[in-house]
Amino acid sequence: MRSEKLKGHLDLLLLSVLSRGPGHGYEIITRLRDRSDGAFELPEGTVYPALHRLEEAGLLASAWDVVSGRRRRIYRLTTAGEAALAAEANQWREFSTSMARVLGAAVTRALRPQAAAGGPA
Amino acid sequence: MTSDITGAHDDLIEEYLDHLMVSLSGSPRQVRHTMAEVEAHLRDAVAEGLAAGLPESEAQARAVLRIGPVHGVTGQPAVLGQPSAAMVRRLTLTVALVGGAGLTAMGAAGLIGRWFLAVKGTAFLTAPWPPGSYTRADCARWLAGDPGTRSCVTAMLADHAGDTMLEATAAGILGLLLLAGYVALRGRWRDRATMTALPAGFAQAVGAVLAGLAAVGCFATAWNIETTQRGIGAGVPWSLGLSATLTAIIFTLALVYIRRPAAA
Repeated sequence: MRSEKLKGHLDLLLLSVLSRGPGHGYEIITRLRDRSDGAFELPEGTVYPALHRLEEAGLLASAWDVVSGRRRRIYRLTTAGEAALAAEANQWREFSTSMARVLGAAVTRALRPQAAAGGPA
Repeated sequence: MTSDITGAHDDLIEEYLDHLMVSLSGSPRQVRHTMAEVEAHLRDAVAEGLAAGLPESEAQARAVLRIGPVHGVTGQPAVLGQPSAAMVRRLTLTVALVGGAGLTAMGAAGLIGRWFLAVKGTAFLTAPWPPGSYTRADCARWLAGDPGTRSCVTAMLADHAGDTMLEATAAGILGLLLLAGYVALRGRWRDRATMTALPAGFAQAVGAVLAGLAAVGCFATAWNIETTQRGIGAGVPWSLGLSATLTAIIFTLALVYIRRPAAA
């Protein structure tokens, strides 16, 4: 999926990934890629400004720790982050349901003439 | 892969981190933290590549490709970002080196012109003004400056040649002063951020290109004068062209030296 499309939803995706447990930047990217079966690939560096922005907004908190011999900044969801994730996820579900309805009808209409043309004479 | 103070032969991860360092804005703590995070990220990505059987260089290249451009990490558009102090220092060094070398080359062209003057005479060095474009008073002034001749044109050529030499000498002195300034500033600004704000050899590459273009332009002008004006006044562009060629060669050799592969 094109990274431009993902940018608008990056905050929600990061909150969602971190709702499964704290993690550092590389881990977050790996989880995002794995959970989307590789569909969500974006320049990995772009998660850092987003993580910092979410931390400034109080939706994430971070602490430094040594993991696998490297000093890492571990991010976790705050209570405000959990609430924001729930609200954002709700909005996304509504949006996605409406889009599916509209697209579903359009796709059905678009396919109907093709089906008729491809059918037996 | 090895690294040196200029950053010329660093591995890809080090190069990326150098670029990031001079591009990040924010408090020193924010910069340190982001640097540490991104370095850990890149090292993880390299380790993953190595574990997958990639050679070190390929694992690094893949890690850098995956993390994306530096402006993605800084969150600022690349072209709109404020130039960092390190970048300003490095550009100042570039201007001092290229400008100093250019002006010194003009001074050197004056020396070549002096040789042309001795061997081929004033008419080769400078062309006389067309008749009607100067006054009797001009002639009187030129003749006063060259009492050995009675010809206004000869006196005019001698005067013009003298002016050319004077300008070349002034340019040469100014160029040497600029180069001295470059050496002094380079001694003061040897910090890693300044040395890596631009690729190693950037100033030399700019100098080589500009000097090369100047040489081509001067030689074309000289050749045009040779063919259309029987060489009268071709001495200045020939001397500038020769000097510019020498400058381009020096810059190119310096660039090759700076970018040479590091010894293992």
